[in-house]
Amino acid sequence: MTLSYRPDDTFAHRLDPRAKLGFQAAFALAAFAHTTPRGLLALTGVTAVALRVSGASAREAMWAYRFALPLLAAGPVFAAATLGPPWVRPAEGFDTALASYRVVLVLLVSAAYLRSTPVRESRAAIQHLVPGRAGQFLGAGVGFVFRFFPVLRGDLRRIRDASAARLGGEQSVVDRIRRVGVAGLARALARADRFAVALRARCFAWNPTLPHLSLSRTDVPVIAASVALAAWAVV
Amino acid sequence: MSTDTASVELVGEEAVENVARAALLAALTGAFAYVSFPNPVSPVTISLQVLGVFLAGLLLGPVWGGLSMVLYLAAGAVGAPVFAGGSSGIGSLVGQSGGYLWSYPVAAFVVGAIAHGGLVIRDPAEQSLVRLVGAMVVGTAIIYAFGTIGLSVVLGLSLREAFLAGAVAFIPAEAFKIAAAIGIVRSDQIAAE
Repeated sequence: MTLSYRPDDTFAHRLDPRAKLGFQAAFALAAFAHTTPRGLLALTGVTAVALRVSGASAREAMWAYRFALPLLAAGPVFAAATLGPPWVRPAEGFDTALASYRVVLVLLVSAAYLRSTPVRESRAAIQHLVPGRAGQFLGAGVGFVFRFFPVLRGDLRRIRDASAARLGGEQSVVDRIRRVGVAGLARALARADRFAVALRARCFAWNPTLPHLSLSRTDVPVIAASVALAAWAVV
Repeated sequence: MSTDTASVELVGEEAVENVARAALLAALTGAFAYVSFPNPVSPVTISLQVLGVFLAGLLLGPVWGGLSMVLYLAAGAVGAPVFAGGSSGIGSLVGQSGGYLWSYPVAAFVVGAIAHGGLVIRDPAEQSLVRLVGAMVVGTAIIYAFGTIGLSVVLGLSLREAFLAGAVAFIPAEAFKIAAAIGIVRSDQIAAE
């Protein structure tokens, strides 16, 4: 189960994507500047509100980020352990535990963004925020990656199934990686060539029509909160 | 809905091809994150993400290979589940593995620059084995250097602790990916593309 946009009518769904991106950046700044028990307690409250107003569930978000958790849990152990007496330094372990926890909070806030923002709005936000050709390239490219990622995942799955059916699992690791790599890459490149032809046939332009983005009164509290968090981070 | 009707600025032919290839290589890197193999010499499984970084540099060259990885990061940041374990979001870019992710555009650029001997693209299959392996070894060093520094900054660990916690178990598997990448760029199937 991965985190993705889910249509809804929550407060966060009605916000401008740029306001939400700004809020995430401000939140991360604040979390890194105030990695103290009191600071993180306050930010936990902010996180709970962000999840609440976007309709995201903390449990689903943690499940989506489960691969990050072992390292976050191991960090404090590595920080606390020392070779030689006193063997364990609890103070350093505690500091790293706080640092791990702030990462969890930042991940949860980004889960709220993912749940409440459709891809085309994110794309439009990128193109509005990054000026000129660079933004146009990023916007178009991000759209293409979204389009082709599931297709290529399917390609790789079929290649591996076919290989497994022919006892490919008996080969050495390098041979298996090479086989998946060659077949996967060949298909990706063939798709890229066909895609390029299709783009040219449809007059692929640097200035396509994007969904209209405009900041409204709804965004004011989020922008105010972002400014407050960023200011708190600097103080 | 605002439509720009004044002028349509078409993307040049060569750029269309490069944009398409960069996007597809970025998507392939994301799809590789889901492919894992049991490691014969370590309990940690081998995931192929880094192979995508190598291939982007080797096939697209430094400039478009690096841009391809920038697309990978941008798509992941706004929600494509392309990062390790199918995660995504800006949180991942500033999280404990953020250092690794930020290293990908740099590593793809450097791998491409060394393998092609500059910014002009040549056929990677015709480059010497030493040059290709060297390019990927340097790329691996960049990825782990960024990753270790990122982990140490984000979790407040010393560099040695970060290296032990987040890097040392994964490095041996890179040799397999380098060997496989050589086989991939030299295979007839890819050369014909």
